[in-house]
Formats: sequence, structure tokens, C-alpha cells
Amino acid sequence: MNLSRPDRQERLVRLAAEFALGTSPPRVRRRLQAIALHDRAVADALSAWEQRLTVLAEQVAPVTPPPRVWARIVSRLGIDTNASPAAGTTHWWERLAVWRSIALASVALIVAIGIYDRSRSPVPAAGPIVVVLAGADAKPALIATASRDERFITLKSISNTAPAPGRVFELWALPPGNPPRSLGVIPPGDIVTVPLSLPAREALTNVPSLAVSLEPPGGSTTGQPTGPVLYSGTVERMY
Amino acid sequence: MSAHVSPIRLAERSALLATLLARVALADQRAFEELYRHTASHLYGVALRIVRNTSIAEEILQEAYVNVWHHAGTYNASKSQPLTWLTSIVRNRALDQMRRREVDAASLTREDDDGDAEFPMDAPTAVEMLIAAADAREVRDCVETLDAATKQAVALAFFHGLSHGELAGHLRVPLGTVKSWIRRGLDKLRRCLEAAPPAS
Repeated sequence: MNLSRPDRQERLVRLAAEFALGTSPPRVRRRLQAIALHDRAVADALSAWEQRLTVLAEQVAPVTPPPRVWARIVSRLGIDTNASPAAGTTHWWERLAVWRSIALASVALIVAIGIYDRSRSPVPAAGPIVVVLAGADAKPALIATASRDERFITLKSISNTAPAPGRVFELWALPPGNPPRSLGVIPPGDIVTVPLSLPAREALTNVPSLAVSLEPPGGSTTGQPTGPVLYSGTVERMY
Repeated sequence: MSAHVSPIRLAERSALLATLLARVALADQRAFEELYRHTASHLYGVALRIVRNTSIAEEILQEAYVNVWHHAGTYNASKSQPLTWLTSIVRNRALDQMRRREVDAASLTREDDDGDAEFPMDAPTAVEMLIAAADAREVRDCVETLDAATKQAVALAFFHGLSHGELAGHLRVPLGTVKSWIRRGLDKLRRCLEAAPPAS
């Protein structure tokens, strides 16, 4: 279908008008979108009609979207609008207070309802340090646990959490007043362990929270998170 | 109906949004945030009216802004108003989504799904919006040339993203009738709008 032919001008105009109005059947929509990618006349016809009709949309009453939309956009793009100098000098790891308090509230609940089910864990029993790592939407995504004397942290994915293809998750300790410290790349899998160079009680001394960032394979090479911080949570010491 | 927006304010807003888009094309994150602040509620309102489901509308908004971040450089200020460009992105995503759902669940009518009660789909409101919009753009005469049924069909299609088939069901007329209303209506609108200078 060569819609650019002069004798098909009428048909093109009609199809473009219906496309912009939104009434075209799915097949026609897809077809026109595909053709517009390489056919200038078709692209122009669509855009002319979009110009004509889209101004009508200005009358639609605005509705404020929930804040999570912006949080997700920022997290998807791995950008940090607050990092620009004019916006202040707060670092991202100092802005986790809100997530922390929400994650804190989830700890008791999760332990109580047994989402963290040690009996089914194929790795050695973890112990009394628990971190619920939640995303910007405050939904728990990973649970980290460690025995104070053991040299590893166990991570359990609780919401089918997996890095984008070709990326890895990296676990960070967030000591207050200091830059994040890498605890290592998180291996793929639902229940995995990250080895620690020291027993957990020492590795996590003065570390009130942990975070997970998205990194290239092998992890960040700069010593600092390079990708977006997807999850974070407060280190809870259980007694 | 909503207040008439003065041409000066429109021009100022367009200039601001065009500047922000240009800065976003250079990966300016603060400009992106400002662009979002100025446009998100309008675009969310547009998406919500079409898909009538808050989580789908949120998803569309999110996708649209991710797209804008990556493709702000393709915005051409000489070809379209910034808000028109942004609105097209959201409308097209919302319409694609509706058509996909229609194919996925051809047997389900729109009324069966979890439409948002806050945004009832009624023809009088849609027609009012169409007329008010035309009023704001000083092309009221063009919309007024449409007969009542056509006006209703055009308004429902535009503001609520109804397809020909859905319009036929909603207005209880045969598919062929809806198609010819829409065809005639668009044709009339085009001739009328082409006679008037394009909105800018």
C-alpha cells in the first residue's frame, strides 16, 4: 500500500485523521505507525492531524499523578535530579529516611507472616541481622539476613526481583557520613549469598542501612554505585 | 467549564516547555524534573480519560516520560507545540494500549472492566469539552458545523479513545453509521480548520 501516491491522497488524509482521532482499528494503527517510520508523506499527514486534534485535549481536566510515578521514572532512568548542585548537596544515600521507616515497619510483619522461611532455605541458617530492602514504591523486594558470626549475607528475593538483562545487582553498606561501601555483587537466583571479608557483626558495624544498585556485569568499577539505586533498607538487629 | 486560557499565557508556556525540552535533550535532569512538574497532571488527565484505570494510566505516563528523556532531541519546535507533542506521545500510547486490550479481550465490553468511576464516559461531557476546546482555540464554528450525532461520536472517540466498534456499541447504531459519521465529521473539521490558521 503506497499511501504517498497522489491518487491516494484522499485516502491517506482520511486514515491519518482517524488515526489522530483514535478510531483506527489496531491493525491499521500499527500499519500506519510502521509506514510513517520511513515514509515522509505519511508521517507528515499523521503529524498534521495530530496537530489539529491534539489541541482539543487541552480541555481535559488535569489530574495530579501519585508521587510514585515520578519515583519510578527516576529509578528507571537511573537519574538523580537532586544530585545537581543547585538542588542542594544531599547525597542519595542520605535521602533514604522515608524508605527506611517504611521498610522498618515491614520487618516485623514479614518475620511474623513467615515470608522469610528459613526452613526451606538451601543455604546455612542465617541469623539475627535482618534487612528488608524495598524499592521507591516501598514494596519489599529482597530480604537480607546474616548471622553475626558468619562471613556471608543471605539474600532472598521476594517479588521476582531480577536485574535487567546484562546487568547485575550490587549490595552496598551505607555508613552515615561516608560514601557507600560495596559488599559485593549479588549472584543471580532467588536465594543467594554474598560473602563478607569479616564476620557480619563487624562488616555491618556502624552501618544503619544497605542498598542495592544496578551495575554492569562484574559490578561497579568506580568503587561507588554507577547505576540507579533500586532498593534500600534498614539494618535490624534481632534479639 | 474550564477557564479560557489567554493566548499570551499559552505562548509563554510553550516557550518555557520548548526551552525545557531543549535542555532535556542535553540530559539536563533538573529541566526534566521541571518539565514533569509542568506537564504531568495534564498528561495524566489525558491518559486517565482514555484508559480509565489508574494503574494503566500511571504506567503510560511513566513510559511516556522515559521516552521523552531519551527522545527529547527529536522534538521539532517548528513543527509542533511542545504540549501537543507531549500529548500526542501519551495519547498514542493510551490508544495503543486500548486497542491491544480490545484484541486481547474482544468479548469483554469496556463497561465490564475496572473503569474508574471518577471518569465516567458520558457523551454530553465529552461534547462539552470538545466545544470548550474549540472555543479556546477560536474554532468554535468548525465544531458547530458538525451535527449532534457526529459531534458526540467525535468527542467520545477523541476524549475516551473509543474505536469505531465501541462507538457503535455505546451509541447503539450500526458500525457503518458510526464510520460514516466519523468520516464526515473529520472531513468537515479538516476543511474548516484548514481555512482557519493552525493553532499556535
